[in-house]
Amino acid sequence: MNQTKVNKYLRSVSIIGVGCTPFMYTVDKEETNGLTDGEMFGYAALKAMEDAGVNPQDVDFYFHGEASPLNGSNYLTPNIQIANWFGMKGKASIHHSEACCTGYYAIEEAVNAVASGKYNCVLSGCVEFGDGVAVPGHPYKREKMTMERFLTTTAWLYDRAYTRSLMAGQELIYDDAAEWYKRTRGITDQEMDDTLNWMCINNRRNASKNELAIERTPYEDIAKEKGFDNVMDYMRSPYNPKMGDFLRAGGLELKCDGAAAVIVCATDMVDKYMGNKSHKPIEVLGVGCAAVEASNPHFEVRATEEAIRQVYEVTGVKPEEIDLFYANDFIITSHLIAAEIAGYLPYGEGWKYICEGRTAYDGDKPINTNGGRTSFGHAHAASGLADLYEAVRQMRGEAGEGQVKFTPKTTMLRGYGGAQNICTYIIRTID
Amino acid sequence: MAIVLEKVVETFYKNLEEGKITGKKCTKCGAVEFPPVYACNSCGCWDMEWVEISGKAKMHSIVMPAPLSSKPEYKALGKFAYGEIELEEGSRLNGVVRGINKKKRQEILAKGQLPVDVKAAIYQRDGYKTVVFDLVEE
Ligand SMILES: [Zn+2]
Repeated sequence: MNQTKVNKYLRSVSIIGVGCTPFMYTVDKEETNGLTDGEMFGYAALKAMEDAGVNPQDVDFYFHGEASPLNGSNYLTPNIQIANWFGMKGKASIHHSEACCTGYYAIEEAVNAVASGKYNCVLSGCVEFGDGVAVPGHPYKREKMTMERFLTTTAWLYDRAYTRSLMAGQELIYDDAAEWYKRTRGITDQEMDDTLNWMCINNRRNASKNELAIERTPYEDIAKEKGFDNVMDYMRSPYNPKMGDFLRAGGLELKCDGAAAVIVCATDMVDKYMGNKSHKPIEVLGVGCAAVEASNPHFEVRATEEAIRQVYEVTGVKPEEIDLFYANDFIITSHLIAAEIAGYLPYGEGWKYICEGRTAYDGDKPINTNGGRTSFGHAHAASGLADLYEAVRQMRGEAGEGQVKFTPKTTMLRGYGGAQNICTYIIRTID
Repeated sequence: MAIVLEKVVETFYKNLEEGKITGKKCTKCGAVEFPPVYACNSCGCWDMEWVEISGKAKMHSIVMPAPLSSKPEYKALGKFAYGEIELEEGSRLNGVVRGINKKKRQEILAKGQLPVDVKAAIYQRDGYKTVVFDLVEE
C-alpha cells in the first residue's frame, strides 16, 4: 500500500471555540420540526464563535461539510445557501463531503488553511439531516428519511465501474473488521459477540450522562423493562438481533439530524482572538489521512494503520501519551479496532478492556465519552465535529456528570467513512 | 509509452462476454492490477498491458452474508460468502465465493485451512457479466 510522509505545519494552529446542536430526529418534535440548514449550521457556528470569544467579522473563511446535501437539503452548493445566516456575508467558503468522515476532514481543512499562513482564524462547521430530509418545493418542511431512500443513497458511496458489480466491498463494511479482529487475535465467536455488546452498553452509559445525545436510556434499564435481570442476556436476545454476520442491531448507528462547528486560529494570535476568555487553547498537533477504496481487503484496517502511522510520525507523540480516544463507530466494531491500532489499548487485549467496562467514561481508558454513533447519534457529516466538541469539553473539565475521572491533556480522534476515508488527529491542551 | 484515453472498463466487461477474465499488467515491475486500471499501484508506472488472469486464487477471510449484507438478487448465487481474495498473479480484492455456507465455514475454520483455494468464474448479473469465485473442493 502506498504511504505518505507528512510534513510539520508552517505554524501552530489551535482550537479556541466549539459548538454543537443536540443530535435529534427534528421531524418528530413540534419545537424542532422544520428547522433549516441555516438555523442548524448557524447555531453551531455562533456557539463556536461565542465560545472562542470572536465576532463573526473576525473569522476569515469558513468550511462547510455535509455528507449528502442533495438528498438531505435539496442543495448542490450548501455552503452558499446558508452564507447570510451568521454574520459572515461576503466571506469566502467551500463545501466538502467525505460522507461519515466529513466532520474529521473539517479539522484537516481548517488547520491547513491557517497553518499555511493564508488565514488567521477559520470556522469549520458541518450539518446533516440524516433523518428529516428537505421536501423539495417548500421553504422549510421536512419529511422522514425512509430506510429504502437511505439505502438507495448510500449505494452511491461505492465505485460504479467495479465495486458494485463485484458485490463484496459494499457488503463487507458491516463485518469485515470483526472477522479480522477475531481471526488475528484468536478470540472465539462468543468473545467477539460479548465485546460488540459491551461496546454498545458502554456507549449508552456514556450517552446517559450527555444532554446532547439522542438515546440516553442505559441498556441495563431497557433490559429490566423487558424482563431481563442480566443486561448481557438482553443483548444476546432477539431484542438485539443479529443484522450482520457478527453485528447486532445495537451496534448500528442511529442516523439523525445535527450540526457542530469549531473555530481555529494561529496559536501565536490566541490572545488577540480570545479576548477575555479564560479557557486554554487546544493545539492541533497533527493530522494523518489515508483512503482505501472498498474493493480492497480490510479497507478500514489498512487505512487506519496508515493514517495513524502518519500522525504519530509527524507529531512524535507516543501511544502511551494519549489520554482519551474517539473513533467514529457507526459500525461499532470500529471503536475496538481503531483503539488497538492506535495503541491506546494493547494489541489483542482491547476486547478485554471493553468487556471490563474500562473504556466507559468513568474507566481508565475512556472511548467515545459522548456515546458514539450508536447512542450519541450519527448526523453523518456533523458527527466528527460533535466528537471534537465532546473532547474539548472533557479536556477543559467541563463535561459535567460525564466527565472522565481525570483531566485529559492529549486526545486522539479517528474519523472513518465514505468508502473509505480515514482522518485521524491528535490535539493537546496548551498550558 | 503515451498515456491513452482508453475504455478500460468497457473492455473488461466485453472480455467477460467473450469468456476471458482480464487485468492489466505493469510492464515495469510485473504487478497485475485486477480489476484493470490505468496505472500500477505498486510502482506508479502507467505503461500497462492487458493480460488474461489464470483464475487460480486463495481466499484469506470468510464473512457470511446476513440481513444487512445481502440483496434479494444475490439469492441466485446459491450459498456464498464474502472475503479477501488473492489472485495467483498477486492482486488482492474483496470478492464473492460460491460454495460456502455457515457449516462449510465452520469446517474450514475448525481444520485451520485458511487460506483455501478458490477459482474465478464469470457470472451473469442483470445486464452484464461479472467475476465471482468458487470454492475448490478437494
Ligand atoms: Zn509496476
